[in-house]
Amino acid sequence: MTRIVPLNKQAHRDLTVDGRPAAEYGDNQHFVQVVVEEFPHLVVHYPILFGKEQSTGQFFCGAMLGFIEGENQFLEDWRRDPEFYRPLSLQRAPFYAHGPELAIDLDHPRVKAGGGQGLFTEQGQPTRYLQSIIWAFQDLQPGIERTRIFIARLLELNLIEPVAIEAEFEDGNLYKCEGLYTVNREVLSGMPDAVVVELFRRGYLTLMQLMVASLKQVREMARTKNARLLKHTEGLAGMRQGSMG
Amino acid sequence: MVKSVEAVVIVGGGTAGWLTAGTIAARHQARMKAGGLSITLIESPDIRAIGVGEGTWPTMRASLERMGVSETALLRQCDAAFKQGGKFVGWTTGAADDAYYHPLMVPQGFSRVNLVPHWLREGAPGSFCDFVTPQGRVCDLGLAPKTIAHGEYRALANYAYHLDAGKFGPFLAKHCTDRLGVRHVRADVVGVNQDESGDIVSVLTPQAGQIAGDLFVDCSGFSALLIGGTLGVGFKECGDILLCDSALAVQVPYDTPDAPMASQTIATAQEAGWIWDICLPTRRGVGYVYSSRHASEEAAREVLLRYIGARHRALPVRKIPIRAGYRRRFWQNNCVAIGLAGGFLEPLESSAIVLVELSAKLLAEQMPACREVMDIVARRFNEVTMYRWGRIIDFLKLHYLLTRRTDTAFWRDNVDPATVPDRLKDMLTLWRYQSPWFFDELDRLEEVFPAASYQYVLYGMGFRTEVRPEDTVESAADALRLVQENQRVTAEMCARLPGNRELLSKIHQYGLQPV
Repeated sequence: MTRIVPLNKQAHRDLTVDGRPAAEYGDNQHFVQVVVEEFPHLVVHYPILFGKEQSTGQFFCGAMLGFIEGENQFLEDWRRDPEFYRPLSLQRAPFYAHGPELAIDLDHPRVKAGGGQGLFTEQGQPTRYLQSIIWAFQDLQPGIERTRIFIARLLELNLIEPVAIEAEFEDGNLYKCEGLYTVNREVLSGMPDAVVVELFRRGYLTLMQLMVASLKQVREMARTKNARLLKHTEGLAGMRQGSMG
Repeated sequence: MVKSVEAVVIVGGGTAGWLTAGTIAARHQARMKAGGLSITLIESPDIRAIGVGEGTWPTMRASLERMGVSETALLRQCDAAFKQGGKFVGWTTGAADDAYYHPLMVPQGFSRVNLVPHWLREGAPGSFCDFVTPQGRVCDLGLAPKTIAHGEYRALANYAYHLDAGKFGPFLAKHCTDRLGVRHVRADVVGVNQDESGDIVSVLTPQAGQIAGDLFVDCSGFSALLIGGTLGVGFKECGDILLCDSALAVQVPYDTPDAPMASQTIATAQEAGWIWDICLPTRRGVGYVYSSRHASEEAAREVLLRYIGARHRALPVRKIPIRAGYRRRFWQNNCVAIGLAGGFLEPLESSAIVLVELSAKLLAEQMPACREVMDIVARRFNEVTMYRWGRIIDFLKLHYLLTRRTDTAFWRDNVDPATVPDRLKDMLTLWRYQSPWFFDELDRLEEVFPAASYQYVLYGMGFRTEVRPEDTVESAADALRLVQENQRVTAEMCARLPGNRELLSKIHQYGLQPV
């Protein structure tokens, strides 16, 4: 259930929100929507791809956080290091945009948990935490529209193609991530000069290069996951040995 | 001096004309842009397209994709819907539960293992269709062949279209002229100039004067203006094999705009023929194909009304004559007949438009470089097209031949051996001991109805092939795996696919993505 109400400094003076990353707070997602403004931050950790909204078939940009539904491989990193970049769409929870103002979902587990940070100082000013949320929305709101236009232009130019992401793991499982798309490099390299200049001026060339570069993170994620699986298997082997002794 | 083929003139602008124009133009864009080839389509400003074909084959997806047509635009502008096959009701016994599917997906692992002997060995459990493909179940549940997240022309289940042929022609015309450089001339052809060899030099129109060409394509429909009128190529009747010679067509509105839509063509056997029932988004197309030797028009109207319901009594019914048969040659001199000018058969398996596509593709691929090689290409074209008509007629006849109905003279007359082509008789004799698969006769590169289609009809209608138990041993393990795979895929598709109407509404709202 959700109960979204406009944020109000009187009514929500004493409200606290636990902004820390946690699976139980809804951070257990393997692919989350992102906006073009985030690409430079994302590229150092996550593969940035195109996915399709299941109910409308429309494209969106997303960051891959795991290989299977519900698996976010980065939760530990996020908990360990508050400076580790988290996609805005997760950072912002439980807040929503309400015109130029903010709204909050009072039924969100981050609120229900009962701990965490306050939103307003005694003077009624936003706390550092709330200020970070306000900044997130300053990027997120126009970013959604900019990202939509970016995608529409790429589609017009036939610059989006499906990509098969497959990884085999130490536990013997083969993961195939379907329904993901990336930049069609072949089409891009064949673009007429005038279009290349247009793409460059609009910043789209950079965005596409970031997306292409970010594909390298798939390998990194697979490596990390494998290392964890190995550690886990070794642990199990150790236990078995122990019980035998 | 070598006379190169540089100007193609298509006479007639229905589905056949525009599909042919688009197919040739898409294949030869570079030549057209360099000025080495022109395509002109002459369409009479007055004549309305016959628009009989509302059903297509999955080849249409490839044809349209090659032409660069947006599938979203097609679905929105041609009142088009998905078609996943045919459902034949009442053809075998006429009993209440008598129905089978001819789906568009081939059986699981078709290229590796023939599942027919395995199905028969197990005592033919359930329907053959459900044993080998999910598509019958998908149709039963009213599901679409894809989801909104599938790009244009991509799918989980193979599909074709049901569409409004009256809208399809103008839709293609716009695409061909805007995007593919086809010249559109609205004029009536009133005269034809030939040289001493009989080749057509030009056609005369009051509106646009003389239009000269090196190669003419006759898409003028039943009138067969060039191939019949000018060149006098004869017509081979086959009403002695296929007995239906008339159709009554009606467009039936839905009771509510969101009424469920079947994605299969439903063909229901009647006293003196069969009724087609096709769901488009805004209406159904229904028609009774019958033999006038077995039923009067009055009686046929009553049968049609009984099917659509008496409350639709006031709807206008259009009568279409069916003169079953085809030209003795399709390419004569420098003229090729494509579409109804080449021949016509009852629309039992939607063969009309697929034959147009195959002919247009063959012409586009084999476009003769010059007049000097044209007769060689023509001979080849005639041989292949003649073969195709023969196989389509065999395949349609098969539907009638396997019936066990004896309730009316129509069904009894249909199994009269005198009405059965020899080749079909031979094949049926053979199939009593081996099932059609690869290495059969139906093994050409672009067969209109591949062996899989024969399997669905034969075993859907209760035909039985004797299987030696030893013959299934080598492939038993593979077959078991394929059958299990089919069960898994069936469950997955039934769970994942949206309703047919629901998906079409979404496409009208959001569109499909190009990839």
